[in-house]
Amino acid sequence: MSSGPDFDTLQTLVIATLFEVVEQSNKPVPESVEGSTSLVGKQAVLDSLALVTLIVELEQRLEEEYDVMLTLADDRAMSQKHSPFRTVASLTHYIAELISEEMGRD
Amino acid sequence: MSIAWLLERMQQWPERNAIVWHDQAYTYGTLVEQVQAWVEELDRHDVGPGLVVTLEGDYSPNAVSLLLALIARATIVVPLTRSVEAHRDEFIAIAEVQVVISFDDEDGWHLERRALQVSNPLTRNLIDSGHPGLVLFSSGSTGKSKAALHNFTPLLAKFQLPRHSRTTLTFLLLDHIGGINTLFYTLANGGTVVAVPSRDPEVVCRTIAAHQVQTLPTSPTFLNLLLISEAYERHDLSSLDLITYGTEVMPASTLERLHAIFPKVQLLQTYGLSELGILRSKSRDSGSLWVKVGGEGFETKIVDNVLWIRAQSAMLGYLNAPSPFDAEGWMNTQDVVEVDGDYLRILGRHTEIINVGGQKVYPAEVESVLLQMPNVRDVAVLGEANPITGQIVTARFNLFEPEELGAFKRRVRAFCKDRLASFKVPVKITLTEDEQHSARFKKMRKG
Repeated sequence: MSSGPDFDTLQTLVIATLFEVVEQSNKPVPESVEGSTSLVGKQAVLDSLALVTLIVELEQRLEEEYDVMLTLADDRAMSQKHSPFRTVASLTHYIAELISEEMGRD
Repeated sequence: MSIAWLLERMQQWPERNAIVWHDQAYTYGTLVEQVQAWVEELDRHDVGPGLVVTLEGDYSPNAVSLLLALIARATIVVPLTRSVEAHRDEFIAIAEVQVVISFDDEDGWHLERRALQVSNPLTRNLIDSGHPGLVLFSSGSTGKSKAALHNFTPLLAKFQLPRHSRTTLTFLLLDHIGGINTLFYTLANGGTVVAVPSRDPEVVCRTIAAHQVQTLPTSPTFLNLLLISEAYERHDLSSLDLITYGTEVMPASTLERLHAIFPKVQLLQTYGLSELGILRSKSRDSGSLWVKVGGEGFETKIVDNVLWIRAQSAMLGYLNAPSPFDAEGWMNTQDVVEVDGDYLRILGRHTEIINVGGQKVYPAEVESVLLQMPNVRDVAVLGEANPITGQIVTARFNLFEPEELGAFKRRVRAFCKDRLASFKVPVKITLTEDEQHSARFKKMRKG
């Protein structure tokens, strides 16, 4: 059984993708982004369209780089008590969780 | 006999060319003789009124004269072409076909009987009325193919009024309402139908030049391919004075380029459905997407921005689906339109509208912008379910030259920035090598 990318690698991917999406969506680019950066809500760096774009981008990149087909935004994600889309770190945790489930299935 | 008037008219000009097929011309005299020969041949095979007959073939003189003979003998005709080969058996079963007549590439034919009783009540009623029939299958570009059953008599009635005699290329075949419309318009007015062996822009342009074609009825998808190929530069298209386009929404960018390249050619939008027949139409001008539709035998109304039509030549119903007509005989076309006085602008199919967080996106509008990007050959825009915004806009591209996906995505978003509202910009961008249009050159927006 192969092991997936570690948390830091995934968080780096999330942050890099986030920067690109923000740059391409006419939004002010934040000075720094870390695990605790909010994705949605008052201080968020993304609007709903940019969030959707980030999620779709991440799905495509994870498939290209790690050969895993994940659906990040679905009923499961939406029905979590704490949304995985709150912060960079929560999204990274959610991705890591889905990847380990996927890999465990092989 | 419902087409006696047509055969009489065709006999008035026996020397004129009726059909050009494989670059060879066949006169009205020849065609009328072939129709008589077919009527006798059908009698010999006991193929008469009320039988359901499949005609499998191209736009050849033999197939066309058989079609006329089958109408004269009051059969129910089910024209099929090779483009629907994958669905052939399914279509034959739906239409309850009793006789199959197929043509080969040399215009030779083969007749096969199927032991079967017609059970569909719609077909049974038509048979009892003694009228000839026509079954057309919708292309199913957005779903399952539906079989429209027509009474052939009212469908042909509108062609009795004399109009212009023209040389017209047939882009659509006998299994499509557009191909049927071109055939009967042309024959009823002593014009010439020019068939093409393929819908390749090069072949189409060569054929226009070789046979002095005046009218090119086609689809926006084909016109896009024509512009890309630049085949019009390599052939003399000076005979062409009318291009008609329909079956799908014309991207504004395509119309603009077409008008710039063919400034002297009239560009006319047509409107028709296999359920209703082809309406008469008039574009405001060659560069305009605004169009007036209607004409004798057609009534239109707009309900909640959607076009409804009532037609004398409407089909009797679907053989494999519930009737789309309301109690007064109106049909919801599902086409969302804008209205300006008598003119309409078609925005897209109601079912293809993408709803992004409550805001409407018409695929054709987005495609029209994306088609202007360098290195883009074709693009299909469609919606995909998303739990955050309800749906998202996705775009699947064909490129001329390979490009790295990440760099291409950045290019798409940069291009759209000042040209589209942010909710219309494709969220998901993919590349494909597959062609994205049907055999009838209609864009396929399938997920």
